[in-house]
Amino acid sequence: MIKLNQANHQARNENILGWALALPATFLLVMLYLLPITWVILMSFTNYELGAISFDWVGLRNFSKAFEDEVFLRSFRNTLLYVALVLPSSIFLGLGIAVLIHARKRTRSIYEVIYFLPVTSTLIAMATVFQFLLHPKLGPINHLLTAIGIQAISFISDPQWVIPTLSMIGLWQLVGFNMILFLAGLSSIPEELYEAAALDGANGPIDRFIRITWPMLGPTTLFVMVTSCITAFKVFDTVATLTQGKSGSEVLLYALYLEGFQYFKMGYAAALTLVFLFFILILSNVQSRLIEKKVHYA
Amino acid sequence: MKLVKKILTGLTLAATASLSLQAQTVTLDVLYCYPSFARFHEPLAAEYMKQNPNVKIQFRAPSASYDEGHQVILRSAVTNQLPDVYYAGFHLLGEMARTLEKRNQITDLSTFIKGEPTNFAASNFAPRMMSLSQVDGKQYGMAFNASSPIMYFNTELVRKAGGDPKNMPTNWNDLITLAGKINAQNKDNNGMSYDVHAWPDDWLFQGLIYQQGGKLVEPGTKKAGFNNEVGLNALKTARRFVTDGKMQLVDWDQSRQQFGAGRTGILFSTPAHLKIVTDMVGGKFEWGTARFPLDNKTQGGVPTGGNAVVMLAKDPAKQKAAWDFIKFVTSPEAQKIVVEMTGYLPTNQRALGADYLAPFYDKNPNFRTATTQIDKSLPWGGYPGGQSVRIWRAQRDVVAAVMRGEKTPEAALPELIKATEGLME
Amino acid sequence: MKINFSVTHVASHFVLIFGALFMLMPFIWMLSTAFKPPQEIFEASLWPFPKSFFGFQHFSEVLKSAPIGKYMLNGVIVCVGILFVQLLVAIPAAYALAKLNFAGREFLFICILAALSVPIQATSLPIYIAMSSGNLLNTYFGQMLPFFLSMFAIFLLRQNFKSFPDEIIHAARLDGMSELEIVWRVVTPSAIPAVTAFSIFSLVAHWNDLYWPLIVISSTELAPPPLGMLLFASAESGANYGALMAGATLITAPMVIAFLIARHRFIQGITMTSFR
Repeated sequence: MIKLNQANHQARNENILGWALALPATFLLVMLYLLPITWVILMSFTNYELGAISFDWVGLRNFSKAFEDEVFLRSFRNTLLYVALVLPSSIFLGLGIAVLIHARKRTRSIYEVIYFLPVTSTLIAMATVFQFLLHPKLGPINHLLTAIGIQAISFISDPQWVIPTLSMIGLWQLVGFNMILFLAGLSSIPEELYEAAALDGANGPIDRFIRITWPMLGPTTLFVMVTSCITAFKVFDTVATLTQGKSGSEVLLYALYLEGFQYFKMGYAAALTLVFLFFILILSNVQSRLIEKKVHYA
Repeated sequence: MKLVKKILTGLTLAATASLSLQAQTVTLDVLYCYPSFARFHEPLAAEYMKQNPNVKIQFRAPSASYDEGHQVILRSAVTNQLPDVYYAGFHLLGEMARTLEKRNQITDLSTFIKGEPTNFAASNFAPRMMSLSQVDGKQYGMAFNASSPIMYFNTELVRKAGGDPKNMPTNWNDLITLAGKINAQNKDNNGMSYDVHAWPDDWLFQGLIYQQGGKLVEPGTKKAGFNNEVGLNALKTARRFVTDGKMQLVDWDQSRQQFGAGRTGILFSTPAHLKIVTDMVGGKFEWGTARFPLDNKTQGGVPTGGNAVVMLAKDPAKQKAAWDFIKFVTSPEAQKIVVEMTGYLPTNQRALGADYLAPFYDKNPNFRTATTQIDKSLPWGGYPGGQSVRIWRAQRDVVAAVMRGEKTPEAALPELIKATEGLME
Repeated sequence: MKINFSVTHVASHFVLIFGALFMLMPFIWMLSTAFKPPQEIFEASLWPFPKSFFGFQHFSEVLKSAPIGKYMLNGVIVCVGILFVQLLVAIPAAYALAKLNFAGREFLFICILAALSVPIQATSLPIYIAMSSGNLLNTYFGQMLPFFLSMFAIFLLRQNFKSFPDEIIHAARLDGMSELEIVWRVVTPSAIPAVTAFSIFSLVAHWNDLYWPLIVISSTELAPPPLGMLLFASAESGANYGALMAGATLITAPMVIAFLIARHRFIQGITMTSFR
């Protein structure tokens, strides 16, 4: 009886303790996320415009408008394309570079720094650089292309090329970060595993990779996948600084920003925000469940 | 001259007299757009503060563009933190004024103008200038920076193509032909650039309409004014820039860089870039400016870009100081400073006189070109309904598609009209 | 065996160098422009070395016409402030989520993970309006506030704390230590590498923030580096590219140097956060 009481007491204690320690975080969670999102939800059913004195409730009209809005639909397609391009390439290249660097001894530090540099760059400073590098007449990349005999490409102004170009820049920014995460993952694989595999007959780098490295990197890979996916979905800065949505380069967050902060249609922007949040939450929810499973499994 | 001096001293005396009635310092919170304009806003403010020791001019962080500034103003209106003075882009002045008017947050300047000596407005400001900052008949601002599109050309490339730099084409057909010849001389160079497909606002598009004598909106209606030959021609011309004029579609910033590198024959842009282009070219090649070609010689015109200074202060002491400051920045002296630093049109007509800018224009003929178009300047129009920004984005997509050859002008015109009229509530 | 080794060795070097050039190209152009005179900048030449050294003029132009020092100081204040509160909030929360069993724990964790996907663009307007009524606009605090809660920190540290031996905690409790003392004095010191790793991540991310400062800051006095950069560059009429790149170099440099210094700890920190 006493033991049960004690156990109950301890459990209640842990409850209080747990919430007490998590209180600041919970408070911020409510103030910075739950309440604002509630505001957004409420606003999405109105036609509120910034600067207006009053507004009306319009039910689901904003949502039906969204799915007929050419700009919004285009931004949706663009974002999906962007993610489809950036996600696999940033993971594959991040892993590849990490594996190659991991094997180095002397040049390892230099490469780490070089590949991480883009992560530290300020985009507003880089925007002018990219404008020049990608210039059809003045930029080195097109010089290279014309030298091989390919016609110069207007990377930023050609609607066919603009999203792939932005993806390239997104990749440039993300690879170093993923590389570091993979490097960390690689460093934590015990040497003994490789030795044991060698005894078992594993030969050559590819064999070792498939048998040991890749499985052991499982949780890291999943983590990289989720964060890269979310980062890619949230693309905004490159569009805002480089193209301002011209040549059909709008992405979801930028379309949202245009509606709310340029056209001041707050109600409609709120509806678009909800659509965005819905999709990204599904994505991250699915993936985070996978993480938890994998983590328990291992 | 004596009269000018008299008026000037009179003004200054009046200003200082009225201000010396206030014992304390009045602080004016000022917001302008385009951060690099600090190079004239700051010296003007410094000079003003020297002449008026009990007024302090404080600048907010300048907005990156007119659109961004517009956003800041609307946000600040909601949170009741408007600046006292703001420089509003002409094309957004209407929308802003109407929104703020409903909330009683903007001031009609006519009352202040009435308080001035009788000749004040007429002697300083041409009627066209005044109308640029009128909204629904009310004088909500005073024009501060004005510009109309001009032609920049690379003299050497023009000569090589058989053109005469002193007699640049005055209609579009001839211009496009010349551009084509420039490209024929050297395939590596673009004949021309007219970046209507990438311009942040519809200024260059309005140029294509106005130069034919066309209208943006049918007056009194919610119908586009270019649902006719004018609109069709505008699209056809834009497409010809690419096919015949050998224009390449790049972003306007890249376009300007390319002209500076000597790889474009003719560039259409704002005179506000004159100083920059001068620095960028840096003596690499000879270049000049010329008027915007007008196909319709009698009714054709050019849109006037730029901004107007508006008063948002409500406190009487601040309003007095603000009006005085507004008069100062639109005075010939102040305008002279602005023009010499940028290439903008002076909004005060007296600034063109021998006392002010005439010698400067003599030494820098490139800067003079914009002033020769003043009689053809039309207001930078907006569309009824307050969605001009969005309308332009939709129009721009259609125009860009035509220029790329993805749509024929005939097929695109109905789309253009639909994009425009669909958004005019 | 030896031949195999050399071939793959050389091949991998080749790949790495090629990739490194791709990573470095923008930086090389940035630096070379900062040292070129204006006429050479758009000369359409690939040669990165300037014919005449103009670096001094460009850098002094930047330092003269833009208060770069002030912008960087603002950046330091804001980033350090954000980091400080982030750690203050995240560490106890991560500990509670990792080590304590309390009702609603899983739910809280899921909420936090979900918040990871919510970008500042989505919540900026209501936060902006709320801040204005609290008079927090255009203040350092206003710049920092939306970032005080870092879901990434909580996630990372929770993973880290999970592998901390329970026995030590029990022993500490028996010793009479309060839970708070355990959090800060016992568990946190063991996670210094992870804390360092996160710190670098947070500092870099917020040093380069543009969107929120753009909305909330209206006076140049408080501008952080990217906003300062924006004020110095300009769309319509400022185009001194040499000085612009000089400014860009100055602003990017601190983060590069910080990473150089803390690199080992950074990787160590992430390594020790086993994702198993």
